[in-house]
Amino acid sequence: MKSISRRTVFSLVLACFLLFGVLTFVIRYFLYADRWVSFTGSPHVYTNGKLNTGEILDRSGTVLYSSEKAKNYADSATTRKATLHLMGDRAGNIPARILRAYASKLFGYDTINGTAAMEASGGELRLSISAQVQAIAMQAMNGRKGAVGVYNYRTGEILCALSSPTFDPLDPPDLEQDNDDGRYDGVYVYRFFHASYTPGSIFKLATLAAALEEDPELANETFSCKGVLNINGEEITCPNPHGRQSLSEALSNSCNCAFAQITLRLGKQKLLAQADAIGLYRSYDIDGITTTRGQFDLSDAEENDLAWAGIGQYTDLVNPCQYMVFMGAIANGGKAAVPWLVSSAHCAGRETYRASTSTTSEMVSRQTAAALREMMRLNVQRMYSAVDIPDVNVCAKSGTAEVGEEENTATFAGFLDSDAYPLAFIVVVEHGGAGSSTCAPIARAVLEGCINVMDGE
Amino acid sequence: MEQILDFFRGPDGVTFLSVYQSALRLSLPLLALFVLVRSARSLLGFRREPEVWAWLRLATGELLPVTHWENLLGRKKSADIVLDFVTVSKNHAVLTRLNDGSWMITDIGGKGKVEVNGNQVLSGTVDYGETISLAGLEMVLEPVSREEARLQANSRTKAGKGNSPGLTLMLLTVFQLLVGLELVFNRAEARMTILTAFAILLGVEWILFIGQKLLKRSGFELETIAFFLITIGLGVCASANAAELYKQLIAMGVGIALFLALGFCLRDFKTAQKLRYAAAAVGILLFLANLVLGRSINGSRNWIFIGGFSFQPSELVKICFILAGTATMDRIVTRRNLLAFVLYTAFIGGCLVVLNDFGAAAIFFVGFLAIALLRSSSYPSWILVLVGVGMLAVLVLAAMLAVKHFPHVADRFSGYGHVWEHPFDNKGYQQTRSLMCIAAGGLFGLGLGKGWMQYMAGAGASDTDLVFAYVCEEWGLLMGVMMIFALAMLGLFVVRSSKVARSSLYTIGASAAMAILTVQAILNVFGTVDFLPLTGVTFPFVSNGGSSMMSCWGLMAFLKACDTRQNASFAVKLSTQGGERL
Repeated sequence: MKSISRRTVFSLVLACFLLFGVLTFVIRYFLYADRWVSFTGSPHVYTNGKLNTGEILDRSGTVLYSSEKAKNYADSATTRKATLHLMGDRAGNIPARILRAYASKLFGYDTINGTAAMEASGGELRLSISAQVQAIAMQAMNGRKGAVGVYNYRTGEILCALSSPTFDPLDPPDLEQDNDDGRYDGVYVYRFFHASYTPGSIFKLATLAAALEEDPELANETFSCKGVLNINGEEITCPNPHGRQSLSEALSNSCNCAFAQITLRLGKQKLLAQADAIGLYRSYDIDGITTTRGQFDLSDAEENDLAWAGIGQYTDLVNPCQYMVFMGAIANGGKAAVPWLVSSAHCAGRETYRASTSTTSEMVSRQTAAALREMMRLNVQRMYSAVDIPDVNVCAKSGTAEVGEEENTATFAGFLDSDAYPLAFIVVVEHGGAGSSTCAPIARAVLEGCINVMDGE
Repeated sequence: MEQILDFFRGPDGVTFLSVYQSALRLSLPLLALFVLVRSARSLLGFRREPEVWAWLRLATGELLPVTHWENLLGRKKSADIVLDFVTVSKNHAVLTRLNDGSWMITDIGGKGKVEVNGNQVLSGTVDYGETISLAGLEMVLEPVSREEARLQANSRTKAGKGNSPGLTLMLLTVFQLLVGLELVFNRAEARMTILTAFAILLGVEWILFIGQKLLKRSGFELETIAFFLITIGLGVCASANAAELYKQLIAMGVGIALFLALGFCLRDFKTAQKLRYAAAAVGILLFLANLVLGRSINGSRNWIFIGGFSFQPSELVKICFILAGTATMDRIVTRRNLLAFVLYTAFIGGCLVVLNDFGAAAIFFVGFLAIALLRSSSYPSWILVLVGVGMLAVLVLAAMLAVKHFPHVADRFSGYGHVWEHPFDNKGYQQTRSLMCIAAGGLFGLGLGKGWMQYMAGAGASDTDLVFAYVCEEWGLLMGVMMIFALAMLGLFVVRSSKVARSSLYTIGASAAMAILTVQAILNVFGTVDFLPLTGVTFPFVSNGGSSMMSCWGLMAFLKACDTRQNASFAVKLSTQGGERL
């Protein structure tokens, strides 16, 4: 009998399996129940196929989405177009990720009371986005494809996260007929968060950061450029010879030969470590939107490939949002606020969510950040008068990324070195041609828009 | 704090009415908790006091207590009576107490002989005062005097002492009244049906309780837990389709009759042993009937319709299967009949595969494992492992074939683990609705009859396969967790009481019954929440279904038979006197 009764432990194992599973489920319940309950079509939170979420407002109080209104979206067609990728379209080709992530906060769901205490009317979600700035960015892009982003590197608020091209969700194009000229190519993609681009020369900032971290004395060196640099039989070229130049001049000249030398001196490991440090491979979860990771892969790179990688070509890819955060880190002494879109949620007059600022890890040291800031400021003063806003220190770097046979991708990234307007930004225009001439006017218009909005607050 | 206020908030804010209704919402889980804690304390907190049925006096004068009806005598440490002498084999003999209180000894193939009063026996009776010799080691069987027995019985803790089962049942009654009332309000159109159904439920449970009192049995915790689960089940039934309440109650009545009959049979383990063959035969007949008459519902051909009634033979076969699988100690150690049982299991498994009922096949497989594990306690374990692996392989193979040939099975398996990618098709519709509704219910539920799962009752299986979600939505996650705790508690009780079990027959029966009940709960709950593929298995006592209700009561009889607490169970004879009769 003894050995038989000992084997009844089988029942114990089964019972423990059951209890353990239930415990796991209860934990999952507390983690995910708000997602389960607000899933599309849930009769608990939808009436006649529409989510009873209430309203979504931009930072100035403009209504971007309302479940009360028959048409749901904003009154102005410009606002509807400018915020399309944030609010989603009706057909579900562009998902309303923010709405989905915060639905439970809007109708007052909580895991204790379930939907029993839920409000029928829904609540109010306030975004850090400015519809006005989005519209300015959209108009400045003028139908060209690309992305524009601006955020406050101290608090994390994203003021502008535009993806272009766009359309009016109340008048969607029929892609089978309306896209003969390719103007709607990739229109469903939220380029600012989900695309990744060859960065071109804006990547020189990352290379420079690595070099300065390695050797701060580099700032005092000079570099010579004959217009061509031969590496193992392969040529690195500049449009014209820059001659002898200081480090800061090499950045202003965006001198490929100088940066090739700096890259080769650093070597693969240091560059890879820096790419990791600035979060290039990272993906941010921004209020329900998961950003695409960048790429910086040197595993098969020869010497000349390495040199091209250091100047933002080769197989380099960066995500606009992520690179904007790196700009913020340079501006902010090495670390930046992690960006967010949703400022607060209210339900039945009660606050159910409020954004809080969290900070990235250290991307560059304080010293390096200061050196980069200074060189980027000089760069704007020397090269980009088009973006120089009076009384505000704009710091920036442009890029013209070569993408196969197509016309170059224009990139432009930087920040305002300002306590009143601590903003980092990035502009990417596909087939945009030269970086500074295409992007600088867009950046200027958008930044001025942001300053206006902030002044009004 | 705000969440607490929310709890008391109604459509017009925090008013007297909303506070009153919320208090009601809170009182159901509280009452359930009281009922379960009280039951747990008496089921799991009892002292495991061995019963002494006889003594063995060694030549040295040492007295060894005989504490079971079946006792393994041998040299190994796990023997019930350890005889640490080199001449004695590890497993030498089994000393068995028969129905009439007489004793029998069986040689189980040790090296040395077994002799009674100097005559070698392979299997023979032993009278009190006779000398048993195991390979020359002599001992005398001595009776327990009436006085000793009485003292022993009186000193043992009575079941329910300190935790009066009557009071627990009172609490359950209050719980049931609240449930009934809420249902009457929320299902006004079926008012009379619900009132009648709950009145019948209360009547039946109190008659059962008082009846057992009259038989001087004081343990009612197992029944209380069953009735607790049934109350939830009836609540779901009333919410989903009140017209089916009577059907459930009839099934409950038949189930209780089965429970009582089986329990009384199990009091004599020799009688029970004779039942085994009949049970095995009935099992085969039921399945053959199923194969011939079976009709398909939801893809599985496991239903029989007779005169307007439908039932699932496989549910009732569970009881036959366990009975057929039980065995007494002398059989276990002499390795008889396990092969026959393996073949029997293979037959059942084969039938289920043909009938395309994989949930049931998995249940029988676990039941088989429980039985085989216990029966092979003195076996080389590789035989068991081999058989287990072989059967599992067959099952998996059959499942793979089914996935290939039956689209509904394939859907269930292919959706498993990522149901959120298939919220609108067969692969994930049921599970995503379930999770959604569980979330909507919160901890305290939306109120009986006020959930959404009711729209998925019947063909959508929300009141059967997805009943966990149904309960969580309307009664709250707390109640869902408690119904699982209730079942797990039964499992722990079986393990605890097996230590003082009288016969291996009871231990095997209870352990296998519990394994089947637990695995049903596992498949049901975890299938609903997408931890396992959804197999369409019922949750014991809660899921709507007559056959399932009957079979659960039948399985409870095995649990009842292993409850050897003093005067606890009608399925165990009273032992106030020298041994025998009531």
